[in-house]
Formats: sequence, C-alpha cells, structure tokens
Amino acid sequence: MNLLLQGLALGVLTGGLYALLASGLSLYFGVMRVVMVAHPAFLFLAAYLTYTVHTTFGVDPFLALPLTVPAFFVLGVAVQRLLVARLAPDNLAMMSVLLTFGIALTIEGLLGTVYTGSYKSVSMDYATRSLTVGGVHLPYDKIIAFAVAGLTLAVLFAVLVKSRFGQALRATIQHREAARLVGVQTERVAGYGFGVGLATAAVGGTVLALITPFFPASHWVWIGKLMAIIVVGGLGSVVGAALAAIVLGVVEGLVLVTVDATWATMMFYVFLFLTLLARPQGFFGGRLAHRF
Amino acid sequence: MRTVSRGLALLLAALAIAYPWLAPNYYLVYAGALTVMYAAMSTSWNLLGGFTGYVSLGHSAFFGLGAYGTGLLVVRLDVPWAVALPVSALLVTAFAVGIGVAAVRVRGASFVIVSIALVSMMNLVVQGWRSLTGGSTGLQVPSPFPGLHRGETHMVFFYLFLALLGVALLTWRHVSRSRFGAGLRAIREDEDKAESLGVPTGAYKVAAFALSALFVALAGGLYALWFGSLDPIFVFSILIGSYMVLMSLLGGVRHLYGPLLGALIVAPAGEYFLIALGETQIHLTATGLVLVLVVLFMPDGILARFTRRRAGPSIPDESADQRLQGVAG
Repeated sequence: MNLLLQGLALGVLTGGLYALLASGLSLYFGVMRVVMVAHPAFLFLAAYLTYTVHTTFGVDPFLALPLTVPAFFVLGVAVQRLLVARLAPDNLAMMSVLLTFGIALTIEGLLGTVYTGSYKSVSMDYATRSLTVGGVHLPYDKIIAFAVAGLTLAVLFAVLVKSRFGQALRATIQHREAARLVGVQTERVAGYGFGVGLATAAVGGTVLALITPFFPASHWVWIGKLMAIIVVGGLGSVVGAALAAIVLGVVEGLVLVTVDATWATMMFYVFLFLTLLARPQGFFGGRLAHRF
Repeated sequence: MRTVSRGLALLLAALAIAYPWLAPNYYLVYAGALTVMYAAMSTSWNLLGGFTGYVSLGHSAFFGLGAYGTGLLVVRLDVPWAVALPVSALLVTAFAVGIGVAAVRVRGASFVIVSIALVSMMNLVVQGWRSLTGGSTGLQVPSPFPGLHRGETHMVFFYLFLALLGVALLTWRHVSRSRFGAGLRAIREDEDKAESLGVPTGAYKVAAFALSALFVALAGGLYALWFGSLDPIFVFSILIGSYMVLMSLLGGVRHLYGPLLGALIVAPAGEYFLIALGETQIHLTATGLVLVLVVLFMPDGILARFTRRRAGPSIPDESADQRLQGVAG
C-alpha cells in the first residue's frame, strides 16, 4: 500500500514535467499542424547547456534559465520561419515530421560530438534529500521539478487566455484563415508560437538535468513518451495533453514500483495503441484531431 | 525509350554481379554488400512509402525482428539457417499484419508517431526479455558458412542481398503495374475519394504494409547470419529506419530505381564518414542535415529532376479540364 502511494506520488511529480513538455508539442501542432519530433532533442540541448553553465560557473542550474529561455525563443521563431514555413503545404504532416526528425538527428549528433556519449548529470545538495509525508518519500528535486513545471504551465495558460498575443495565438489555432481575415498576422504569430514552445523546452531541459542523468541518445525515449501523451490526450488539445500527461505519469510511477522500468516505459506504448484502436482522435481531442 | 531503360537495367545488373570480382579488397566487398542490403531495404520500404505515401520511420522494427527471429531459431531451436530465414520473415509478416491493422487506422503525422513507437517498443521487449534474447549483451549467431573465411562470407552475402534486391525490385514493378498498385496510388492522391470509388483502402494498406515488412525482415535475417552478433540497440535503432526513408526520398519515391539510387549515394557516404571521422556521433548530424535539405528542397527526389515529371498529383489538372470540356461539348 505504501509502495503504491509512493508510486502515485512520484507519478504525479513526473507527470508535471510531462505536461509541460507535451504543452509545447500541442502548441506547435496547433499553430502549424506540425508534429515536432525534435522537441525532446531541444529539451536535451537545454539540459546540456544547463550542465555547461552549472559546471563552468558553479552556479545553481536554474540560473541557466535567463540565458536559455530567450535563446530558445529566438531559435523557435527561426525554426518556424526558416524551415517549417518553407515546406510545401500539400504533404505538410509527413514532411514536417521528417524535417523535425532531421533536426533531432542533427542535434543528437552535435551533442554526442561535443559532450561525448557518456552520462552527464547535475547534482545539487538539495536533490539528494527528500521530504517524508506519511511514509511516502518525496525527493526535493522532484518536488522542485513539479513546482517549476506547474508554474511555467500556469504562466503559459495565463498568457494564452489573458494577453492579446494569446488571443491571436488561439485564433490562429482555431481557424487560420478567419484569424487572418480579422487582422491577425498569422505568419508572425505562428513563429512566436514556435518560440514559446521551444522556450518551454528550455525550462523543461533545466528541470530534467536536475532530476535525471542524461546522454545524447536518450531523447528517443522521450519522443515515444511525449507522442503517446499527445495522442492519448488528442492532438492539438493543450488541456487534454496535460491531463493525459498526469494520467500516464501516474501509470508509469505505479508500474515502476510494482513491476520494473521496462514495463513502466512500455505502458506509454500500450496506451498509445489502445487509444488508436479505441479512439483514434484521442480522449480529449477536439475538432482538430479528426484528420490526423 | 523502353529498350534503353531495359538495356541500362541489364548493364547495371551485370556490373553489380561483377562488382565483388572487380573490388580490389574485401573491405570494399563488405561495403558493397552493406549498400546492397540498404538498397533492398529501402526498395522494400518504398512498397509502402512510395505507393501509399505513408511514411514509416519504424521499419527497423521489422529489420530487427527478422534478425532476432532468424538468430533465435538458429541458436535456441537448432533450425537450419535456410529454414529459419523464411520462417522468421513469415512470422514477422504475420506480426506486421496485426500491427498494420492498428497502425493504418491513423493517417499523416499519427502514423509516423506509431511507427516510431513500434521501434521503441520492440527495443524495450528485446532488451527486457533477457532469458530469451540475451538482453542488451546481444545474441551470437553461428556463421552459416563455417568453411569460408571472412572475406568469402562477405562475397556470399553480397550475392544473397543482391538476389533480395532483385526480388524487391521485381515486386515493386509488378505491384506498380497491377490493379493493387493503382489502388495504392489512389490512396496516396486522395484516400477518401479512393474509398468512395470502391478501393478497399484498409485491406490494401495492410497488404502493402505487410509486403514491405516481409523483405525488410528477410534483409534483417540475412544481416543476422552475416554479422553473427546482434546488438538490440543497433538493429532496433531509429537510424536504420530513417536511412530507408532518406534513401527513398533522395532517389525519388515514385520511381522504381529511386531508393536504389538513394542507397548508392547514402550508404557509401555513411561508410566514408565512418572511416574519415571514426566512431564519433557527427555522422548523425550529417544524416540529419541531408534529410533536412532533401525534405526542404528536393522532396520528389533526384530522379524526378531528370525525368521532368511534374511534382504534385500524378493525374494532371489539364486532363480533368479537357475531360470536362469533352463532356460539355
């Protein structure tokens, strides 16, 4: 029983990070109908940059954020304007996956060349301690990860709902042509949408560096996990992705403590295939998901 | 034109058969065999990707399963390799039918996601099932030709892969000229319209998926017998799957010889990178950059440039207009 509670708690804490990362993917899909396979690769790029900042200057990994977040925003705008927007629209879905897949390979190769293929990790003294609540151990690093992810998601939602840019972004997601008709500069907004998406990857990368060791090829596992999350949630649904992230995080946590790590990761794919068989549009998918 | 292309094909075939005798050393025979293996695999990939437009990044799953199936039958059940190879390929094909039924329910980006997930799943299964597969330490498969030295084995496998490539090319050509192939092309152009015109799209897609898995699995089985040791991280790597896609796209997915041409460019380039730069990760960057460039600037491939066939729908708009005028007049 205690073990299950432990798994549940860890699952929720990890699910927060999944939710943050999946929200970025939902944004890309929303503004461009593009599945960004390179998102986890950028995540690991951010993790390695955090590692460099931490080891070179010996500062707290979160101090890398003022550097990486703006840089990744600019990078995201550049990826959208220079690469994704140039694709021919008739086969955008497939070609965009291949394009971003190429970007992911490029990043993985560069990381492997610069940092070598061995494991790297950022360990802080607070990461080794844990909070014990009713027999359940909650490591501080996971709690911090969850808090940072939750805070970033909250800011993201606030921007999407309240700000003028958020309105333009949502209008672009809902109906591109109509948005353009009422004066939204959809091209520019789509670029900023990519920028915001990659900025979430920068935050996620720092958090990731804190909670787990990483090596260049580990982004493939994350592609599978994140893709499963957005398919289960319904492509293009930000709320659906967040809910699916927590659910799958909990399932992973429970299987991890009761069976083993292989089956915990396998659960993502099991849910992916079950969703495709039962409800190909996902469980929270809206109008957007039907054609994909 | 037809005699020219047939003559060219015969010339290429003769050159390919003579290659191991012309190659100055066994390393080049080895590189040749590897290239022919990739050519066979990408031609086979093109049975699905070229006709239906469904891009699978996960065909390395079938490669790995074919390899492990053959290896396990030989090692654990003492089946002769000549039996193990086709049996394992047929088992993989049956498995592909099952996966295909689920996978082709979704289109576009979701299909690509499913194909990536398939590789990761198989990798997990093979690494996790330690008692059967040896887990991450790999599986050792005894050589089918113990009497031959390493170089002669490369030669034998060069011809085996060449035969597989020949069969894959003939199958592609046959499908291309059949009603089945026309149905698959209709799926690529407009799946909903094809379905409303009575093309059994679901069954056709599953059949194409399984057929392309069959040859990839055979290539995997041959690879297992050739290399003699299987590393789950390599045979189930997403990189092998992306090589098939890159080669096909680079050469031209709508052409019989497109994937072959792509393989002739990409595989030797990859080997060259390995020699020139050693075992660094920079070859991933090179592959990624080439893929980005091909997708951005040459999605129809090299052959499309030369044959001057226009990009876009293969049914030209003029003919539809002309038909309308014919009806009106």
